[in-house]
Amino acid sequence: MPWVARLRSSRFPIVALASLLVLLIAGVAIAVLSERSLRVQTAREAGAQADLLASAVSGALAFDDAQAAQDYVDAVQVNPNVLAAAVYDENNRLVASFARQGETVPPVATPRPRTTVFQDGRLYVVRPVEEAGQTLGTARLRVMETPAAQRFSRYASLLLVLGLAALVVVVLAVAQGALRRANRQLADRAAELVRANNLLQQQMIEREKAEEALRQSQKMEAIGRLTGGIAHDFNNLLMVASSGIELLDRTEDPKRRRTLSAGVKQAVERGAGLTRQLLAFARRSPLRSEVLDLRSHIEGLRFLLERSLREDIEVVLDLPGDLWPVEADRGELELALLNLAVNARDAMPNGGRLTVSGCNLPGEDGAPDRVCLKVADTGAGMPDVVASRVFEPFFTTKEVGRGTGLGLSQVYGFVRSSGGEITVESREGEGTTFTVCLPRTDKTPQEAGPAPLLPPDEAPAKRRGGGRLLLVEDDDAVAAGVGHMLGDLGYRHVRVASAAEALAMLEKDPRFDLVFSDMVMPGEMDGLGLAQEVRRRMPATPVLLTTGFSEAASAATGEAFRLLPKPYGIDSLSEALTATMAERAP
Amino acid sequence: MTPGRSTILAIAALIWSLPLQVLAAPQPLQTNLEYSVKANYLVRFAAFVEWPATSFADSRSPVVICVAGRDPFNGVLERAARAQTAHGRALAVRRPRTAEAAAGCNILYVGRGGGSLVPAGPRPILLVTDGAVSSDRGMIHFVVSDDRVRFHIDLQAASRSRLSISSRLLNLALSVRGG
Repeated sequence: MPWVARLRSSRFPIVALASLLVLLIAGVAIAVLSERSLRVQTAREAGAQADLLASAVSGALAFDDAQAAQDYVDAVQVNPNVLAAAVYDENNRLVASFARQGETVPPVATPRPRTTVFQDGRLYVVRPVEEAGQTLGTARLRVMETPAAQRFSRYASLLLVLGLAALVVVVLAVAQGALRRANRQLADRAAELVRANNLLQQQMIEREKAEEALRQSQKMEAIGRLTGGIAHDFNNLLMVASSGIELLDRTEDPKRRRTLSAGVKQAVERGAGLTRQLLAFARRSPLRSEVLDLRSHIEGLRFLLERSLREDIEVVLDLPGDLWPVEADRGELELALLNLAVNARDAMPNGGRLTVSGCNLPGEDGAPDRVCLKVADTGAGMPDVVASRVFEPFFTTKEVGRGTGLGLSQVYGFVRSSGGEITVESREGEGTTFTVCLPRTDKTPQEAGPAPLLPPDEAPAKRRGGGRLLLVEDDDAVAAGVGHMLGDLGYRHVRVASAAEALAMLEKDPRFDLVFSDMVMPGEMDGLGLAQEVRRRMPATPVLLTTGFSEAASAATGEAFRLLPKPYGIDSLSEALTATMAERAP
Repeated sequence: MTPGRSTILAIAALIWSLPLQVLAAPQPLQTNLEYSVKANYLVRFAAFVEWPATSFADSRSPVVICVAGRDPFNGVLERAARAQTAHGRALAVRRPRTAEAAAGCNILYVGRGGGSLVPAGPRPILLVTDGAVSSDRGMIHFVVSDDRVRFHIDLQAASRSRLSISSRLLNLALSVRGG
């Protein structure tokens, strides 16, 4: 029912309403009872008065003494409630009477027995006048019921009590209503807080995502900066290679041909090294600590650093050979150094010198040993105000579009997460020095470089193999080149373009000594899947995988397959093939 | 005493009373009314007077109203008494011829020539006399005052005769002797 709902939702509590209702009912009941008893009492009083009058006037009626009867009737006037009084003789003729203003007394009365009647707010009382059994006439009274004012005064105290009770109930109800309202507001506010909290958490998550994206884009920005230099280098290498190949065709002099081919090969190897660096740099992976020899690692970065800086900036590496090893993420360290280098470059618009120096810092008073790298430039320097804020995320002095303000914060984050410290010293006009200190590790660094290069002076023709290979390669040009190399090495091969074709071929003709497959290929199955399938079906047939992707490479080594990273030379190909065959066919 | 003398007196009385009778003749109704009222009063007295219990033979004995001497009521008394009661008793009207007979009355109206019938000594009989008949006063004595029938009460005599008279009746009396 709607009114129940409305009552429920109203601020006035139901209990209070019920109390008021009960009070009202009780008040009305008391008033009705009181009114009834009042009537009875009024009737009794009027009856008694009429009886008195009747008995008093009996003599006067009996002996026709109208004067005496009038005296008795007048005596009744003392009662203010009596509106009229009259005495009639036995023949119902009026003997004596009085009437107040507005009341009339009929001269001849209707014969009536003893009556007491309420009518029109008045009480009519008729009493026969008798003496010793003789009926002498009637005495009649007309009495006003208790006047309103008098009645009201009777109820005044009751009304007062009821009013007080109602007041108490109303006050309590209002108080409770206010309390309930306050409660509701509190609940609303709590809900709002929860909502705000949820929103905040969501924003925090979004912000983390945005920061992650920004970090990534910052990385990409660095790559973008690199691209120009890399392209320049690649063009140089391609220039060397193409000119070498053209000259090879023009000369028949074996010595000159050897020199030329060595030059081309060197250029290609430099290109391979460059792409390896790029892959390592672009790798997206969480912080993955490994033991690093800073000297050799940073020497390996020299090329990268020089490419990220301008040609008017000189790079000086001053790294002693006895630097202790540290444990850190290779990619993050490279990025940190690159960021510092880029920062230094921007601080030196007119050229200068970037010095990367290292030193061992033995721990004192129980503090651990540390290895410190200093990256110093000869640039403009910066005021203390700026220096104190350089590690804040998004703080940048560069114009809009030139820097994200995340570079140095990446450096800071990397150093802190590696358990190290970073400080900055700067003087305006004299350059800036960042000092990165990383804790020393007891572990020994692993040998880096998955593809050990053969000495270039060793003749490729010396190495010969034999056997029948299944070559799986989707790129026709690569397949042709590799085919030539295999033929040169004395291997026969069948080439297919996908994993599915390879499996079909193996089904038809399983007599292959080795499966040599690219890893990243179109189709449902990639090289790794093919290798697993081959291992399952023909455990005796060895598999050699090759790829140019570092991530795919790590997956292959995880599955214990031999891997030959692209690009490779004929020597490393020969070596890998020989090793794989030896492994699988003891 | 000589007859002539009594005859003279009678003639003289006649002569003197003639003008009175001539004067009274046009008002026979008023006289009738007067006695009619008195007859009513006699009946009413029965309700306002209490007799000792010994006055009645038993509980059903009527209240006896007697008229001694000449009856002036002309049957009105009987009519007034017929339907009435007093103290639960009926009313009876008698006309005793002897004092002995009058001794059984409860209310005795002494009319003209009825003085000899009044029993001697204090008896519980309400003796009602009439100023129009003689000036001797009984316990209740009718008079006409302001053209209305009123009465005097001799409470002393009533008390002596062991009669009690209601105060409401006493209130209406022109005078009350004793008490």
